Amino acid sequence: MTRNAEGATVVAASVLAGFGVTLVNFAREQSVDAQTALTFLVFLIAFGGLHLAVRTWAPRATPLLIAPITALTALGFIEIYRLDPVKAGLQRWWMLIAAGAAVAVLALFARSSTTILRRYRNITLLVSLILLVLPNLPTDWGFPLKGLVVNGSRLWIVLDIGFTTLQFQPAELAKLGFVIYLAAYLADHQKALREARRHLGPIPFPEPRQLIPLVLTWLVSILILVSQRDLGASLLLFAGFVLLLYAATGTSGYLVAGGFMAAAGGVASYFMFDHVQRRVIAWLAPFQHYDDEGYQIAQGLFGMGTGSLSGAGPGLGRPDLIPNASTDFIFAAVGEELGFAGTVSVLALFSLVIAVGLGISFRSRDMFRKLLAAGLTFVFAVQTLLIIGGVVRVVPLTGITLPFMSYGGSALVGNLILIALLLRISHEEAT
Amino acid sequence: MNGPVRRVAIGVFASFCVLLLAVTWIQVVHADTLKADPRNARPALSERGKERGLIVTLDGTVVAESVVDPMDPRSFVRTYPEGEAFAHIVGYNSFLVGDSGLEDAYASVLRSKRDLTISDLISVILGRDLRPHSLEMTVNGPLQRAAYEALAGQTGAVVALDPKTGAVLAAVSSPSFDPESLLGEDAQAMWDSLLADPESPLSDRATKELFAPGSTFKTVVTATALDTGEADPSTEFADPLEYELEGSTGTISNFNGGFCEDGDTVTLLVAFVRSCNTIFADLSVRLGAEDIGITVAALGFNTDLDFPWTVPLATYPVEDLVDDPAALAQSGIGERDVRATPLHMAMVASAVANQGFVPSPYLVNRVFDADGNTVESTEPLSLGRAMAPATASILAQMMERVVTDGTGSNATVPDVRVAGKTGTAEGAGDGPHAWFIGFAPVEDPTIAIAVLIAGGGDFGESATGGAVAAPIAADLISLWLKGTQ
Repeated sequence: MTRNAEGATVVAASVLAGFGVTLVNFAREQSVDAQTALTFLVFLIAFGGLHLAVRTWAPRATPLLIAPITALTALGFIEIYRLDPVKAGLQRWWMLIAAGAAVAVLALFARSSTTILRRYRNITLLVSLILLVLPNLPTDWGFPLKGLVVNGSRLWIVLDIGFTTLQFQPAELAKLGFVIYLAAYLADHQKALREARRHLGPIPFPEPRQLIPLVLTWLVSILILVSQRDLGASLLLFAGFVLLLYAATGTSGYLVAGGFMAAAGGVASYFMFDHVQRRVIAWLAPFQHYDDEGYQIAQGLFGMGTGSLSGAGPGLGRPDLIPNASTDFIFAAVGEELGFAGTVSVLALFSLVIAVGLGISFRSRDMFRKLLAAGLTFVFAVQTLLIIGGVVRVVPLTGITLPFMSYGGSALVGNLILIALLLRISHEEAT
Repeated sequence: MNGPVRRVAIGVFASFCVLLLAVTWIQVVHADTLKADPRNARPALSERGKERGLIVTLDGTVVAESVVDPMDPRSFVRTYPEGEAFAHIVGYNSFLVGDSGLEDAYASVLRSKRDLTISDLISVILGRDLRPHSLEMTVNGPLQRAAYEALAGQTGAVVALDPKTGAVLAAVSSPSFDPESLLGEDAQAMWDSLLADPESPLSDRATKELFAPGSTFKTVVTATALDTGEADPSTEFADPLEYELEGSTGTISNFNGGFCEDGDTVTLLVAFVRSCNTIFADLSVRLGAEDIGITVAALGFNTDLDFPWTVPLATYPVEDLVDDPAALAQSGIGERDVRATPLHMAMVASAVANQGFVPSPYLVNRVFDADGNTVESTEPLSLGRAMAPATASILAQMMERVVTDGTGSNATVPDVRVAGKTGTAEGAGDGPHAWFIGFAPVEDPTIAIAVLIAGGGDFGESATGGAVAAPIAADLISLWLKGTQ
């Protein structure tokens, strides 16, 4: 695939978004309005702009990333628009902001290299930790940057810039920061960590001192869990980090130990938090607890089952019956209106993004870039697997968003920066 | 270095395969189960607001129609222009309380075939007609309306059949309800209040409720007697004041408490015309449960009818009566455990009118498409012969005498030969169940009818079939014959 084909695919995916919006409008009003053109243009500006930025600042980057993420964003956007046109309008603004952020990342590294991140790893860690605790700022003080409580959890900050307020989830950026820090740390200490001096039964085990990063990430995950009651984000970071640790060292002991620690954390949180218990109940028996815990999962399954092979059609199903359809359950909404065809397409597109991300890691010669590409892709993959797995009842629901598809600006910004970093690494490693 | 990443990659893609399997399970293998789950509102919601076919009577009265919603020009609302009179047979298609009647039984016919934008487009290209199909009932609009008005709010039912074909000309249950009241936002509250109503207006007494047929059942016993040769109209019976039940201290006496005629002997004809319980208790025991059971079975008792919905079984419990002469005697006058719907008693009248052949009742004449072309039409069906032609003809004459000289004199229609039999069965509540079954004109019957006033109606305890039910039958027969001549 060439750069020109990438451009053509971006245009095609923008047409898809516009066409989807037209179908939704047609199902609702039997009329076509400016939303079609507006959606098409915003997609073209956001993703076309990213495409042009890659042409300018990362011309040797893989052409296989922007195409699938544009298509995923388009499919998600059609459902967001179908569920709530007002949210869709906001999401369009966020698309422009996120693409702007991604373009800025590409421009920032145009003259240097992503390897400078390795030098600033400690600062990155510090900034990330600050971002993580930022939502714990007072919600009512005079300073323009405040914390915000949404649905009982402190995930948000509000920036009051006079004429309007911006709401943001800093954890979405902190997630990237932690990956950068861990990739840099592991690139530096890789050899020492790989030396397995001890054995636990048949499993080789490193020096206890070398376990510090693992313990540290575990503690960070617990911090997230306790401070924000967000099991999903916590599990996501921890799983991503353990996988990266394993990738860096090849020591399967990390996977085993990490698995035990995650299990311990999971069991403890089951007994500590009733919302975790409710999610386990909903996972095990959604139909028996239909009127209570299981309602959301059951409605998601009803939606996907009713959508069946070809789906109801955009605007013709009832994904609005599923609570949080535009965020956690966007996959079920796609399944209801676009059917099995839609869900399989989504799974294929995510698989492509992940395969390309891991491919970048494979081909990287520089250890930091190799680990950074792997770490970013792992976090992306684990997030995708956890939330889709939750919706289709393979694992308990964790309440995290589906990258590029769910409604939410912060996640879109974080994920497009993640893609920009992968693009940049692929450019730097291309020969 | 790439080894661990590759292994993680394998794990990730294996997980994707698990997701793919889960999605296949949900959207392909398990899809129909999830779609059919009663808690899944989506199928019902997608039906809501869609156009449904018409339901019309044979004479062209529109009784159910989808009209464009004045609030939302893209969707339809169901209307029932004839309201209460047709409520039980036409039923309703309500989002909140479900479907009933023909709206339920013919849902797949009446439903719009319009579905998805793209599949609709393909259907249009292939030349398929997506407009819903409609139903033409066998019912006669004016007769149905008149029957409902004749019941005048009393608890009861009227069923009129074409005795030769079994086509339902009218099937009315009273009291009734307005089906449109179950379509709106307050449908659930309306439904709850209808359910709580002691007169249970939602019950279809014409086709879904069983009642003791009382003396109208004497037609069946007489048919057996004539068929077996046990008696003919001139056969003399002893005329006691009371019939003493065998193996019991109880007795059966006549309706007015006296002799049937003069306390000496009485013919079967006189006993039938005067509806004497003593004679029929005696005759029933003489015939035996098995012989009566043969006639009863041929009349379709104890068997399921092929009707748009389940009609409760008309019962005559032969096995229980074989060794119980007291119960057999009581059953001979249509009491004890004998039960039938008004629909079934109209079938009994039809059999007499139709030379002994029992027609299979049907309610839908044909299904037609949006251009009026017949898609499917019902062929009249006979359930078989319940009595010999000679028996039917003699019984018809006896029933004519009931109207001319006996208990059914209120069913008289000027210049028309009407045959009938009254019945006054012990009912629940305030009064007896007052019956009249019959047909007209005797020389070439075009209508068979069963009228039931449950619990005495406006007459209460003093109600009799002759006083309460027969006049209604006369009015309807008169209306019908005026309309068809």
